[in-house]
Amino acid sequence: MKEKLSSFVASFGLPRLIISAFLLALFILAPIVGVDLPMQITNVINRFSWNAVLVLAMVPMVHSGCGLNFGLPLGIISGLLGATLSLEFGFTGPMSFVMAALISTPFALILGSGYGWLLNKIKGGEMMIATYVGFSSVSFMCMMWLLLPYHKADMVWGLAGKGLRTTISLEGYYDKVLSRFLQINIGKISIPVGALLLFALLATAMWAFLHTKTGTAMTAVGSNPVFAKAAGIHVDRIRMLSVVMSTWLAAIGILVYEQGFGFIQLYMAPFYMALPAVSAILIGGATVNKATIMNVILGTFLFQGIVTMTPTVMNSVIHTDMSEVVRVIASQGMILYALTRKTEVTR
Amino acid sequence: MNNTRKWVFRGFTLLVVLAIGAVMFVIGRGHTVYIDNKTLEYNGETYEALQRSEVYVGGERLSKLAKRERTMSTVIGQSFEMKLINTANKGDEPTEVTVKLTLPYGWDGIVVNIPGYLAGLPQDAWMTEFVSAPEPESEEEEEPGAFEDEIPMGDI
Amino acid sequence: MNLKPQGAGKSILNILRNNTVPIMFIIICSICIPISGFSPAYLLNEILTRLGRNAFLILSLLIPIMAGMGLNFGMTLGAMAGELALIFVSDWQIWGIPGVILAMIVSVPFSVVLGFICGKLLNMAKGREMITSYIISFFINGVYQLIVLYLMGSLIPIKHSSIKLPRGYGIRNTVSLLNMRQCIDNLLAIRIGGVKIPALTLLIIALMCLLIVWFRRTKLGQDMRAVGQDMQVARDAGIQVERTRIISIIISTVLAGFGMILYLQNIGNLSTYSAHSQVGMFCIAALLVGGASVDHASIGNVFLGAVLFHLMFIVAPQAGAKITGDSMIGEYFRVFVSYGVITMALIMYEMKKRRQKASIGEQLALAQREGSRHE
Repeated sequence: MKEKLSSFVASFGLPRLIISAFLLALFILAPIVGVDLPMQITNVINRFSWNAVLVLAMVPMVHSGCGLNFGLPLGIISGLLGATLSLEFGFTGPMSFVMAALISTPFALILGSGYGWLLNKIKGGEMMIATYVGFSSVSFMCMMWLLLPYHKADMVWGLAGKGLRTTISLEGYYDKVLSRFLQINIGKISIPVGALLLFALLATAMWAFLHTKTGTAMTAVGSNPVFAKAAGIHVDRIRMLSVVMSTWLAAIGILVYEQGFGFIQLYMAPFYMALPAVSAILIGGATVNKATIMNVILGTFLFQGIVTMTPTVMNSVIHTDMSEVVRVIASQGMILYALTRKTEVTR
Repeated sequence: MNNTRKWVFRGFTLLVVLAIGAVMFVIGRGHTVYIDNKTLEYNGETYEALQRSEVYVGGERLSKLAKRERTMSTVIGQSFEMKLINTANKGDEPTEVTVKLTLPYGWDGIVVNIPGYLAGLPQDAWMTEFVSAPEPESEEEEEPGAFEDEIPMGDI
Repeated sequence: MNLKPQGAGKSILNILRNNTVPIMFIIICSICIPISGFSPAYLLNEILTRLGRNAFLILSLLIPIMAGMGLNFGMTLGAMAGELALIFVSDWQIWGIPGVILAMIVSVPFSVVLGFICGKLLNMAKGREMITSYIISFFINGVYQLIVLYLMGSLIPIKHSSIKLPRGYGIRNTVSLLNMRQCIDNLLAIRIGGVKIPALTLLIIALMCLLIVWFRRTKLGQDMRAVGQDMQVARDAGIQVERTRIISIIISTVLAGFGMILYLQNIGNLSTYSAHSQVGMFCIAALLVGGASVDHASIGNVFLGAVLFHLMFIVAPQAGAKITGDSMIGEYFRVFVSYGVITMALIMYEMKKRRQKASIGEQLALAQREGSRHE
């Protein structure tokens, strides 16, 4: 019995176990300390729907052996370009979301292929360089947001008449377009079906893709590049494809996030956005070179659950908001755990 | 043998470092000295404030105190020295006094009463701990904490 | 006869290629300085001040590079240890130079513990030390916040309400270090014209450089270089690789703690929750600007880098404002340049590593072919 338990802990991972137990405890505690549970559940589901696509963006690169995509901000920037251009061109309502997705696609393809080309040149050091590619591109775009000739009155600084604002309200554009689409209300709990459907669509597509010939080739490249090469797979091309997919998903992911959140956040906002996504997929059971759709769903749920539940529950238990500290320690600890696992070092 | 020597050496180094730390504790303790020229009541007697008292610390004039005035000085370590040029009553010849004090280690702020000191009273009469008035509670102070919002920008 | 100029041309080309980043920075600075309109005396003064406050921090990066562990993003840990020490020292009301010395002593145990943890974790993540040390710095930042924001004043005794939050526990956003402000910089300071030279600080930095030069020649220093060259060979030679790597990180963390204390005594107040967050990035960028790479860095790189990087840092916002009319452009520009430099250095390092691997592979293949022919 004891052995069984310890082997379960070993396979599941101690940090993951602690985090799951913590979330469970939060859910049990919530009604006891008088927190409005239905509202909390609504919040968790909503935040799940905002973030799930960004977490899904991790999957292709993990599969192809490029590791965790710390360069997510690059994809996010493509999404932001799409979003701002769609607004600038005067699209409104749901159409602005569709156009944002369409416009961001070419940017994601171009930036993604450049990024993929770079990562092919530096195999083995992907994660660190990805981090800094993300940082440099975000800080480069900070200058661009100021300099690019945007003119739409509700996007630029009122006084100067140029330079985009740090946050742009999406009211009248695509604020909650997905969340409100087919929204279901059960008692106090409301479910943003539209957003969940889009995620389900993308996740199913990803699942199906991973079972096609190219998809299995991608997994082969990730698990054993030498063997894959010997089997006649174009390793570099497959890796490039995975990076482009990841970048595009990040672009779509940020648009989904924005529609839920209601604002476009520019400048330094995308800076650290990779870290929550990375830790979410790891909490869901992924490792540096293995990730499934199930990991994405479970991880996003656990991570967002902790993010939403901790502040309210903690506040009513000990009257201080320790949620920030808990979140940072849990999420960074999870990444650290994944990076330092012996079994994954060999590659 | 070699191993023992290594450990002895390490222990010695540790002791030296700890000793330096202890010395720093003593010589680095900072105090704020408040020098008062105020009338003092002690055991029923009254010691009148001086007409004027000029306070010199480290050769520089800190202040010229009239009646009921206070000046302050900071000092590192427990020995404090100042020079006073006192005029007790109007028209008197000024007298020069050098004051050497040993400050209590535990006090952050120390009030020294000049008339009491000049009268040669026991130390607890003219040297008291400075207790600052409790700050008005300001609830506005924002909750600190800096994570994602803390964008690495700015100066270094 | 003909070969000579060609050789000289080649060597110049080599120098250019090996020092792309410093040369680029010299060009950026020489364009920006006239535009910014700062006087030479002002610039010199600023550079000396910034050199005094940052050089020690940058020096702390050298030893892990020597041990082949790359750029130590975990130097933030040392910075946090230094800050913890300073919080205690200012609560104990130890002022001036004794305060600085005491803070350094107090920071050592914190640094050693944090450095040990960091070293242990990095040994578990060989080959991806940099990303791991980067994440460690975030993780420990969380722990630091837990200690400073919740445990100090409640579990850890803090006496003075001037550094505590009004609610009774946790440390305020800023802790004043006014009583030790520039105490080391001002002692023995030399003033020439309008330029203040913090002689004592520079002397301490010079001593540190000598210490590093000496350390390289000791048995431990030699071991570290061997580990940095090739871990397997070092292990076969009887060097305790893991232990050596941990020690190199501990030394770096302790030095970073000292560096942070020197840095903050110059600034004169401690931003409790954010002072350390940028230190790692800026120091690494400065070192790389000086021409260092992930696997090689010298003391010369530290000083050249500190001067060039900070020159850029001072003039960029002003120059940017003059050119575009927007003061933010320059600020974003210098942030972009900092990250860009680190990115470029990382890319160049990984490419070089791959080339070397490929050439070793080729040699191996060649040797194998030779061997089979002999049979």
